[in-house]
Amino acid sequence: MTLDFGILLQDENLPLLLQGLWVTIRMTFLALILSCFIGLVIGLGSMSKYKWISSLCATYLAWFRGTPLLVQLMLLYYGLAISLNIDLTASLAGVLGLGMYSGAYVSEIVRGAIQSIDRGQMEAGRSLGLSHWQTMFKVILPQAIRRMLPPLANEFIALTKNSSLLSVITVAELMRAANTIVADNYKYFEIYLTIAVFYFVVNYGISVLIRLLERKLNVEGVRS
Amino acid sequence: MIEITNLDKYYGSHHVLKDINLTIGQGEVVVIIGPSGSGKSTLLRCMNYLEPIQSGQISIENQPIGMIEQNGKHKEMPENQLNKMREKVGMVFQNFNLFPHLSVRENITLSPLTLGKMNKKTANETASTLLAKVGLSDRADAYPDQLSGGQKQRVAIARALAMKPHVMLFDEPTSALDPELIGEVLDAMKELAREGMTMVVVTHEMGFAKDMADRVVVMDQGQIIEVDKPDVIFQNPSQERTKTFLHKVLTHT
Ligand SMILES: Nc1ncnc2c1ncn2[C@@H]1O[C@H](COP(=O)(O)OP(=O)(O)OP(=O)(O)O)[C@@H](O)[C@H]1O
Ligand SMILES: [Mg+2]
Repeated sequence: MTLDFGILLQDENLPLLLQGLWVTIRMTFLALILSCFIGLVIGLGSMSKYKWISSLCATYLAWFRGTPLLVQLMLLYYGLAISLNIDLTASLAGVLGLGMYSGAYVSEIVRGAIQSIDRGQMEAGRSLGLSHWQTMFKVILPQAIRRMLPPLANEFIALTKNSSLLSVITVAELMRAANTIVADNYKYFEIYLTIAVFYFVVNYGISVLIRLLERKLNVEGVRS
Repeated sequence: MIEITNLDKYYGSHHVLKDINLTIGQGEVVVIIGPSGSGKSTLLRCMNYLEPIQSGQISIENQPIGMIEQNGKHKEMPENQLNKMREKVGMVFQNFNLFPHLSVRENITLSPLTLGKMNKKTANETASTLLAKVGLSDRADAYPDQLSGGQKQRVAIARALAMKPHVMLFDEPTSALDPELIGEVLDAMKELAREGMTMVVVTHEMGFAKDMADRVVVMDQGQIIEVDKPDVIFQNPSQERTKTFLHKVLTHT
């Protein structure tokens, strides 16, 4: 077998893949923001003293963690359109699907990190006259975020990899670009290896960024 | 100043405070002593409602804290009302509970700034004044991890004072400290007592109790068994259990 990476330079293949990569990055980034937001809300909600809020959050977690992402995407994109006439664009369905799915995992990271903070911190804040939420946002979360970073790096990397499933709901991201090209020229190995490298580079970037962020936060205070 | 009437507190079915009645006057220094597990910390933590109570009432400056009567029913007060009450009550913990992600100055200014009690300039000036008072002027920009235990506890005292509390509660403020660091914290507390601060102190430092307390409260098994002036408690206690306890503590330290 001979490999022919020259194929990248033919038929606009490389620009097509780069375009796909850009879509992947954009979708992942938007989904990541959504997932952080959902994760924070569900994570905080799951610790609520109001039973109905915490059970609602537990249900969210159970559902989105307990069903395959691919099925969720199908439901969002095809399911909603055909049975409820809610016609989301593929990109919107993709970002929502990825974000809601990953948000479930982020909520567990948020909850775990918050619960790992000594309860004396909340007591100190409350004894100074701060409210529960003031203490949460000024005292607990800034400390918890440092502890969230390593597991968040894992989650964001998983999110990037999972974004390849969006190809199935017609989003023109990296995986779909590759599929389109190989359907034409059968250069499976060259093309898929190329996008594997692309995914790898993106994920490597994420882990480096998070490590930098960790270091920056650590310099500004806590070493514990 | 602080009035506790018929206070009962349970952890599940465990009755940890039994019919506590105690009145603490303005400017008084009250030291609570008693064996481990007798309920000293719990009683102190009820005074700013860090622990919910099951019956009875606690009021600070004639206003109830935590529980209120409404339409003849006993219920928990709204959070904002509770927060307001807590501003009057400073608390110092055994293990400091400083905010590790904030500098010493920020630890002190966080609450006044967040609650809009002071602008940034006044808050920083207040922090400087308080740090000078506890002898830590040069450590304003340090982080808690860079301080010794004694320094941490003095910062914690300054942090509590920044809210201009009317009462200060201390829960074994020197128990987590190396022996040579205890003195500096006790000195800061003595200074505060001399200025007329109302103080409730749970401690095993009998020297502090003898020198500084106006009254000593002795607790055992969730009850107050004796309250009196320190010389009475230490020289001529009326309760056998007080004698036993003091004998143990004084021969062990
Ligand atoms: N969060 C809790 N849940 C259940 N029981 C508790 C809790 N905190 C304290 N207790 C129990 O309540 C009783 C009183 O505890 P407390 O901490 O008030 O005692 P203490 O006098 O401060 O003792 P020490 O000198 O050891 O600090 C003990 O029997 C303790 O086991
Ligand atoms: Mg205690």
